[in-house]
Amino acid sequence: MNFQRLIPVVCFGILLSGCQSKTKHYDLKGEVLDKNPATNEITVKHEDIPGFMPAMTMSYSVKDPNGFRQVEPGDDITADVITANSGNQYWLENVRITDESGRKTIKPGTVHRLDIGDHVPALSLLNQDGKSFRLGDFKGKAVLITFVYTRCPVPTFCPRLSSQFAKIQDDLAKTPIDFAKTHLVTISFDPKYDTPPVLRKYGLAYLDNDPAGFSHWDFASTNPGDLRKIADAFGLEYFEEDNQISHSMVIVLISPEGTVAKYWSTEWTTAELEDALRQQEKVGVIPTQPHGQRKAG
Amino acid sequence: MNRMVQCAILFAALFPCAFLYSGCGPGASAQRGQDLFDLHCASCHDDPPPDLKKQPPKLEGLFKAKYLPSGAPATDTQVRKTIVGGLRTMPAFDQRLSNQDLNDLVAYLHTLN
Repeated sequence: MNFQRLIPVVCFGILLSGCQSKTKHYDLKGEVLDKNPATNEITVKHEDIPGFMPAMTMSYSVKDPNGFRQVEPGDDITADVITANSGNQYWLENVRITDESGRKTIKPGTVHRLDIGDHVPALSLLNQDGKSFRLGDFKGKAVLITFVYTRCPVPTFCPRLSSQFAKIQDDLAKTPIDFAKTHLVTISFDPKYDTPPVLRKYGLAYLDNDPAGFSHWDFASTNPGDLRKIADAFGLEYFEEDNQISHSMVIVLISPEGTVAKYWSTEWTTAELEDALRQQEKVGVIPTQPHGQRKAG
Repeated sequence: MNRMVQCAILFAALFPCAFLYSGCGPGASAQRGQDLFDLHCASCHDDPPPDLKKQPPKLEGLFKAKYLPSGAPATDTQVRKTIVGGLRTMPAFDQRLSNQDLNDLVAYLHTLN
């Protein structure tokens, strides 16, 4: 064998391995609330994970097939959280059941979200300017919706979602026709704290302090009852505990006809969201009612 | 009692007071502040995701400079105000951290060089 020929191959391999994003490991301890075999995800209510996130309920992909098969809702588990790409990608490995005595107390699949093609609920929201609107008001436009709360301290959760929406807003603004046929909505699930003035301040931080951006991106919330209905409709899980809100992440794409077109809950990129939005916009119709004609709240 | 001894006694009496009022607040624990920092602050200020709209500033030497990264004076009051109320894309920790938590966090931030 000519070893001299192997040298560049070995060097290239070393370079490649050096280019892979660094991973970090954290210890997770918590209770499994739900299991989704279609996506290989489990929802875990976990304790504080110092350096990664405070106690929270969230969905994780499980990369360990045996661990996923064995675990059931109600189990107490430990696992390794592996993060890559500065925390933007994360998953579980080495899932171990520490107590399965609670297994029968929780039914899997407690949240039943709308199916693709279903119409969005006709519930009223109040935006950052105190004006009320319904998700159905955007017919003729492709709408991207996500859920945050403004005090969220986990950078890979709400701050990341809002940063990605800000990037999409900036990108769409470069093409007036795309901008006119799309809309963004960020809904807070913390209406007690996230009043219109708080949402306005939060929104301005992501709009480079330009209030004109609100014409294309609403920051809204509603009363706790309707909020729960909207969250259930889109499969968002959230609950308040120790002055902190544990929550899952959901992004929903609404077609120009006002129906659910696509969901994202664990993995996505800004480019993927933007492409999906533009695809929907292409099949849509020109809006007949300007967005500014909403009822005052 | 000679003058040297008097000075030593005075120093010994005043030293704990000076420490308590060095910006950390009474009874503040920098060690506990570090635990709170690791839990609530480190994921943004030490290793932020690259796709955040604004990259959070590193906090080493926060109190060594005259001004905070925001341009406001580097005082305990201003730092507490920023933590509680948030600033631009930094979330508010309002109603989430107790007064003692804030004392401990500020005490820890004073130790960052």
